[in-house]
Amino acid sequence: MEIDKIKKRFLFLDEFKILFLIMFLILIVSILGQFSSFNGEFSASVQKHIVRIVGGIAVMCFIYLCDFRIWNHFAYVFYAVTFFALVVVELLGTIRLGAQRWIDLYFFIFQPSELMKLSLILALSRYYSTLSLADAQSLKNHALPIALTLFPTILVLKQPDLGTAGVMFIVGCGMIFLSGFPIKTFMLGIVSGLLLCPFGWHFLRDYQRNRILTFMDPDRDPLGTGYHVLQSKIAIGSGHILGKGFLQGSQSKLNFLPEKNTDFIFTTIAEEFGFAGSTFIILLFLGLILYFFWCGSETKTVFAKFLCYGLGLLLFSHVFINIAMVMGVLPVVGIPLPLLSYGGSSMITFMISCGLIMSSLANRKVQ
Amino acid sequence: MLRNDDSKKEIQRRIIIVFSAMLFLMGLLIYELYYLQVDCHNKYAMLSEKNRVRLSPSLPKRGRIFTADGKLIASNKYKYKLTIESCAENIFLKNIELLETCIDLSEEEKNDLLEMRKKVPRYSPITIRDGLSWDEYAKLSLIFYKLNHVSIDNVYVREYSLPFELSHVVGYTSKSENSLQILNGKTGIEASMNAELIGELGNVKTEINAAGRKMRIIDSVDPISGKDVTLTINSEIQKYVFDLISAEKAGSCVVLDLTDGSVVAMVSVPGFDTNLISSKINRTQWNEMIKDPLTPLMNRAITGTYPPGSVFKLVVAFAALSEGVITPKDTVFCSGGVTLDDATFHCWNRYGHGRVNVCDAIRMSCDCFFFETSKKLGIDKIAEYAEKFGLGKQTGIELPNESSGLLPCKKWKLLKYGRSWKPYETLITSIGQGALLVTLMQTATMFGKLYTNNYDFAPTIIKSPKNEGLSGKETNPIDNKHASVIKDALHQVCNFWSGTAVRSCKADYEISGKTGSSQVRKIKSNEAGVSQKNFQWHLRDHAFFLGVAPQKNKNPRYVVAVLIEHGGGGSSVAAPIARKIFDKLILTEENGNR
Repeated sequence: MEIDKIKKRFLFLDEFKILFLIMFLILIVSILGQFSSFNGEFSASVQKHIVRIVGGIAVMCFIYLCDFRIWNHFAYVFYAVTFFALVVVELLGTIRLGAQRWIDLYFFIFQPSELMKLSLILALSRYYSTLSLADAQSLKNHALPIALTLFPTILVLKQPDLGTAGVMFIVGCGMIFLSGFPIKTFMLGIVSGLLLCPFGWHFLRDYQRNRILTFMDPDRDPLGTGYHVLQSKIAIGSGHILGKGFLQGSQSKLNFLPEKNTDFIFTTIAEEFGFAGSTFIILLFLGLILYFFWCGSETKTVFAKFLCYGLGLLLFSHVFINIAMVMGVLPVVGIPLPLLSYGGSSMITFMISCGLIMSSLANRKVQ
Repeated sequence: MLRNDDSKKEIQRRIIIVFSAMLFLMGLLIYELYYLQVDCHNKYAMLSEKNRVRLSPSLPKRGRIFTADGKLIASNKYKYKLTIESCAENIFLKNIELLETCIDLSEEEKNDLLEMRKKVPRYSPITIRDGLSWDEYAKLSLIFYKLNHVSIDNVYVREYSLPFELSHVVGYTSKSENSLQILNGKTGIEASMNAELIGELGNVKTEINAAGRKMRIIDSVDPISGKDVTLTINSEIQKYVFDLISAEKAGSCVVLDLTDGSVVAMVSVPGFDTNLISSKINRTQWNEMIKDPLTPLMNRAITGTYPPGSVFKLVVAFAALSEGVITPKDTVFCSGGVTLDDATFHCWNRYGHGRVNVCDAIRMSCDCFFFETSKKLGIDKIAEYAEKFGLGKQTGIELPNESSGLLPCKKWKLLKYGRSWKPYETLITSIGQGALLVTLMQTATMFGKLYTNNYDFAPTIIKSPKNEGLSGKETNPIDNKHASVIKDALHQVCNFWSGTAVRSCKADYEISGKTGSSQVRKIKSNEAGVSQKNFQWHLRDHAFFLGVAPQKNKNPRYVVAVLIEHGGGGSSVAAPIARKIFDKLILTEENGNR
């Protein structure tokens, strides 16, 4: 009986032709990008990256095979568990790169804030799946989602991880907006939030303040905080239309580019493949986001819709913040580019997202 | 419990708003990308190239300098130069600490290095030592693997084989002020031929990574070595002459070859050590050198100016003959003095020379004859002929800092002092005193012009095919009729019994010449006849001798001009030295012919 169900699922796979095509292209670019940023050597790190991709696909399949109803059913439980993990990180997480983002489980270094994003989406989807449009007009019915968004955001901000906090905030706000939150009040909230920003300055760490100041004026300290952005802009700008050619990027090969395989992987690719290559990547991601949204409109349940839209928002906020920051449009906040950047946590997060999307599409007929 | 269709519709409506916002933002990103990669491409491509490429100059080998007889007198010597790159302070200090175990560094030097580290851009080299001794080099090699950002390079330094003898001719070099530290000539041939000697810079384009480490050489242009320069100087004669003149406190000598105007020897005493200046001179030594009252750095042969004294008389005689003021047979009675406007101008011989013609006057260097002749001739005619013989202007020798001397005339006095020329000034100018100033090279050139019968005769110190056979082209010939009268007289100076230089200059190969003793101050009446040796050194006369030899077919080959500063009489001091030089020249020539 169960096996039949699973068999049925696999027969359903050709539904995802477009998703697989986009994923395939992104992952090819991902491997080439990593290969290039390790100076064209098929090094242990590149192999590790491929292993992560394969592992990520396995996780994606696993999520796809899981019963879709458990996500709705256990949404609050997931939220509670990841929130607890986040608090633990705050209390005793190992300090890495100046930020307490990791929790060492002895066999796996784990970043609860990554899972927190997914848990937040699940929890908000669950909450709004039961809220009627009429109830959504009442502000007090939004108190819980706002709290669900703000608590982890503040915790992550304290770690300090400005980027992830920003992503959570965008995703949370986006979902609250989708639920039918009064538009006028929403706008008012955003405007007053912007006005309150200067007070937030107080709570920022020195290095965050530096990043923001440097963002305002990149020449303030060209060899210090501004160095990353300046070198990244030089790398992107020197790429021209078709780029310097695969493995020919001098900025990344000669290490002028910092974090060239993680946060700045987009720069590495933009330098070697130029405007054509970098636009292609943006269009690929846009296609993926559109696919997520299309799934959302295809599904029949409100929970699945919110889930797809939430994941779409998550993907968008990552892509936008990352690309904007490497181009110097936003301050450098340390957000990886989904599926392209080197690193396990982010890879798993987006593979899970894809798994959830596939699962919700497969269950679209289910009310 | 489940939400109705209205709710779903609202969600769909709102997701379109959200998606439009996303599209707008992504569009902005692509626009910004286009701006960076296409619009600003040139700027960033340049910055990227600047990041990646470091252009370092490679210095050319400086051209060598040879003498006519093939001796290498200025060459390049390898030295080990120790440099350290400007880097992070702690690494820098650690390296300096390590270096101190091998070489002695004073506190001052260390502070200088630390100062430099801050001043120069990152990873550019700072010189610690220009020349390492073998000891230091060996010690450093042992610990070299521990050092970072430190390098030992081969550099060239200038080395001179006759530093004192040729100090003024060859000159010396110094490093340029900029970071290139290329050698530039400062004086002598090193300066005047700098453009030839210096060669062309090469460069090495290296790719560097973000840490400033050199990754690979992209491109390199080899430096072009400077051209070698060969001088007309004969090293053997030069050395011989230098040793002779060095017996005196200060003086100079020029030996010209009349066949092509080449300078066989040019000596200025005292000399200085060009090797010392080129390499490791310190401030005290330098100050000593420039404050020395004997001015060793000055080239006395071309920069020092002196009143020519009696040597000038032949110009006056030639002018008088040419202008028809006198004939070779005209005589003047010399009673020991000439009176002009109630003042008496004495001949050097108080008892007078009796009745003398132009030939006698030159031979015995009679002052009265020239006093009388110049009265008839006038100063402007004298100046005109002196200029034809090259006085009062540079000879054009290929050396820097040549003086042009001073040739007074009526116009000059009016311009300079605003006063008119006084007749007595003509008299004292006619015997080479007064305002008249010449360089030794000018007088030698004057003799060269006379004996080659060519006003265009000019000296040269660079050996090149173009100045051979210069005397052959008589484009501006001297009237031989009058010149031969002067030449006969000059022959008598050294060969006739009453000639002023007969005692020292009577030789088988026959020398012609003229002595001169130029006063450096007015002689007081009570000092008349007092021997020069009784005066203080700086008050004594300058001793001049100009001579030519050998007189084969009345076509001499060499001019020797000797000047001994405050040496006393030309006949007693300068002429014997010239005689020795002639002996050496003739001997060398004979040896060479054999």
